[in-house]
Amino acid sequence: MPILRVALDVALPGLLDYLAPDGTPADVGRRVRVPFGRGTGEKLGVVFALAEKSEIPAHRLRGALEILRDMPALPPDWLEMLAFCSSYYQHPLGEVVAFALPPVLRRAGPLPEPDVDTLWRATDAGLAARGELRKNAVALKVLDLLAREGPQRESHLRGLSAAVGRGLPEWRELDWIAEVRVPPDRRAVAGPELTSEQAEVLATLTAALGGYAPFLLHGVTGSGKTEVYLRLIETVLARGGQALMLVPEIALTPQLEGRVKSRFPGAHVVSLHSGLSDGARARGFLAALAGEADIVLGTRLSVFTPLPRLGLIVVDEEHDPSFKQQDGIRYSARDLAVWRARQRQVPVLLGSATPGLESWHAAASGRYRRLSLTRRAVALSLPRVRILDTRRIKLEEGLSPELLAGIVARLERGEQSLIFLNRRGYAPVLACPACGWISHCRACSANLVLHLADGRMRCHHCGAEGSVPRACPTCGNQDIHPFGRGTQRLESAMAERFPNARVLRVDRDSASTPTKWNALLEAIHGGRADILVGTQMLAKGHDFPKLTLVGVLNADASLFAADFRAPERLFAQLLQVGGRSGRADLPGEVLVQTEYPEHPLYQALATHDYDHFADAQLAERRQAGFPPFSHQALLRAEAPELAQSLAFLAQAKEAAAQLPERQEGVSLFDPVPMRLARRAHLERAQLLLESSSRPRLQAFLCAWLPRLRSLSAPRKLRWLLDVDPLEL
Amino acid sequence: MTETAAPGPADNRLEITGQIVELDALRHTPAGVPVLGFKLEHRSRREEAGHPREVAVELAAKAMGEMARLLAGSRLGIKIRVTGFLAQKSAKIRQPVLHVIAIEFVEGN
Repeated sequence: MPILRVALDVALPGLLDYLAPDGTPADVGRRVRVPFGRGTGEKLGVVFALAEKSEIPAHRLRGALEILRDMPALPPDWLEMLAFCSSYYQHPLGEVVAFALPPVLRRAGPLPEPDVDTLWRATDAGLAARGELRKNAVALKVLDLLAREGPQRESHLRGLSAAVGRGLPEWRELDWIAEVRVPPDRRAVAGPELTSEQAEVLATLTAALGGYAPFLLHGVTGSGKTEVYLRLIETVLARGGQALMLVPEIALTPQLEGRVKSRFPGAHVVSLHSGLSDGARARGFLAALAGEADIVLGTRLSVFTPLPRLGLIVVDEEHDPSFKQQDGIRYSARDLAVWRARQRQVPVLLGSATPGLESWHAAASGRYRRLSLTRRAVALSLPRVRILDTRRIKLEEGLSPELLAGIVARLERGEQSLIFLNRRGYAPVLACPACGWISHCRACSANLVLHLADGRMRCHHCGAEGSVPRACPTCGNQDIHPFGRGTQRLESAMAERFPNARVLRVDRDSASTPTKWNALLEAIHGGRADILVGTQMLAKGHDFPKLTLVGVLNADASLFAADFRAPERLFAQLLQVGGRSGRADLPGEVLVQTEYPEHPLYQALATHDYDHFADAQLAERRQAGFPPFSHQALLRAEAPELAQSLAFLAQAKEAAAQLPERQEGVSLFDPVPMRLARRAHLERAQLLLESSSRPRLQAFLCAWLPRLRSLSAPRKLRWLLDVDPLEL
Repeated sequence: MTETAAPGPADNRLEITGQIVELDALRHTPAGVPVLGFKLEHRSRREEAGHPREVAVELAAKAMGEMARLLAGSRLGIKIRVTGFLAQKSAKIRQPVLHVIAIEFVEGN
C-alpha cells in the first residue's frame, strides 16, 4: 500500500509516514489531513514523497485521513527549496513548510474565492430593456453607463449604488449584461526614457534571461534602479515568465505596488507581506501557484511563493537586514533568492546603492556579475555631503548653527528638511538628579524610554510599559528629568524653535498603522510639512521632490559598536538617508554632525565613495577572518539565570568535542553572555562557531544538532541555532 | 508636603522673606507637574553675638505644583515670605536649594 511521507508542523526533524490507499504520485505536493497524537487529534501536512516501504513496522503505521486535492499540488521545486531551507538553517522541515504556507492553507477548509474583478458589458437585450425601466432604476444607471462608456469593472459598478451588488446576478440571469473575457494583457505602458547607463545595464541583463546568472546592480541613490527592474520585468512578462520582486519593508510595498500596477495595468500583480489579511495572502499565493500571477511583489516571506513560470528574481535594497528573519526560522531571503535562481535557472538581480559586503565580495571574486549605475537619472547630481565637527560649537537642542541655518534657508525657499535621528520616543532614559535613580526595565538589561506624547514609559526590547512616574520611586523627588534626545523631543524643540513651520515626526510610533503611515507620506508628498523629524523609516526608497536638506544627528554611537557589521550598517543607513535629498530638480545637501569628523567612514560618505569604503571594510574583515571570509553560526540559549544559559552552552561545546568524526576546520569559541544579556526576564548567552568552509560548517551542524537535542537542560531553557547570523 | 510637627532631630524648615530677583520660565516634569525655579534675595538687619549687622543672602529656590503656578503669575521685584526646606541641588552639586512649601505675598507690593 502506498505510504505518504508527510511534513508536519511539529518540532521533529524529518518526515512522518502515513498509509494512504488512494495515494498516487500526483499527490506529492498536496496537503493531507493526518491523525496526530492520541484520540481524534489531527494535523495538516504536506506530502513530500510517496514510498512503498516505511522503516516503521506496518502495524504501527496510521492511515492518512484525507488527501486534499482542492488546489494544484505544490511543485517539486518548491518542496526542494523548503527541504534545502530546513537543512541549511537547521530547522524542522514541518515547521518550515507551515511557515511558508499562508495561514489559511495551513488548515483544512474552504479555499478563498479568487479575487476577480469581473469586466461587464451590456448585451443588446440589456440595451433594449432600458426603455422599459423606471427612470431611477439602478439597472438603468448601470446599463446607461455601459452603453456610454463601454465595459466596466465590477468594483467600479458597485461604487454606483449599494444595490448594484444584488442586481448583477439578476441582470445576468435576464441576459442584460455579460462577462467580458479578456486574455491578460502583460504589456507595460511607456516609461521614462532610459539614460545611456540604464540602457547598457538593461541590455546586459536582458541578454542573460533564460539561464542562471546572479547580478549585483550597484546604483547610486536616485540612479533609477527601479526603472531597470521594471524594464527587465517587462521583457520577462513578454516572454511568458513570472517575476518575483523582493523589497525590504512592508511600508515600502504599497508605493512600489502602485508604481508596478500603473506600469503593467493589465497584468496580474500580487503583493505579499505579513500585513495582509489571511484571505488576501492565500489568494495571492494560490494565484502564483496556478501560474496566474505575473508579478509577485513582497517582503522576505514572498521568497517562498510557488512560481511555475518563474523567469526572474529581483531583490531590491539587497543589503537590508530585514531580509534576514530574526526569530523562528532564521532564513535570509536574499540568500534563498540566489539559491532559488540557480535551482530554477533564472537570473537574479540584487540591487542596492550600498550593497552588503557579502554581495560586494561575491562580485569582486567573480561569483556575481557587477553592474553599475554611477549617475542620478533625474536629478543633476548627488547631494553635497558636509561633515560638521560639533566638538567646539554650541549646539541648540542638539543642532549646530549650520544645520539650523540650513533649515531656515529651506523654510524661506519653501523646501523640506529632514532631521534624521534614529531613536524614537522623547528621551531614552528618565533619571532623578537628586538620588541618581534611572528608569531601568525590570525585565531587561535596558532602560525604559520616555514616550511623552502618550505619557508612557516603554521598553524597546521586551515591550513592557507603564505610566510616567510622578515622583522618583527611590527618593520621592518629583523633579525627575528626561536625559538624552529622541524624535519626540526633537519634534517639540523644532516646533518651538520654528513656530511657523509645520513639523512632522515620522517613526514607528507616529506611523504605527498602514493608514497613519500613508497619511504621513501623503502629507510629505503634498508639501504639507516643512521639517521632518524621522528615524530610519524615512531612509529607504522614498522620493520626496521637495526635500533638499538632510541633517544627521547622533550617528557617532554606531561608530564604535562591538558588532563588526556596525560600520557597514551605519554607512548604508547614512548614504541611504542622505540619498533622500535633492532627488528631483532641486540640488540636495546632507549635513552630518559628528565629534569624529576625521573618521574614514565619514570621509568616504562625504565623497560618496562606497567602493573605497567597502574595499577598506573587506580588507579589515579579511584580516580579522570575519564573514565573508569565514562562515558563522551562533548557538543562543536563554534561561531565567545566566549561569544556566552558560552551562548549557558549555555542554554543547563539550558535545561537539565528543563527535566521533572530530570536525576539522570548525572553531568553537567560548560561551559568553549576549550584549543585551537580560531580556524579558530571561538571561541570554551565545556560542559562536566559525569555519572558513561553508560545507564543513554545514556538515558539522548536521552532526551536532542531534546531540544538542538530546542534551539535558533546565525546563525553562530555550536554545536556537542561527546560521549566518547578522547580529552577534 | 504638610507642615512639620514639633521640632525634632530631622528639622529642616526655613522661613525667609525676600525679593524675587530671578524667575525661570514655568516648566513641567514628564508627569506634568509644574516646576518653577527662582532666586530670592533677602536683606535685613539682624543681631549677631550681641551686635547689629547688615545681612544679605541670595538663595536658589524651587517651587512645584500649586506653588509653582502661584509664583508663575508673579514678577521680578516682588517681595514674598517663603516657608520651605533645603535640599542640595543634585546628587553631584551640593549647593542648597530652598524648596517652597508655602508662600505669602508681603504687603506693600
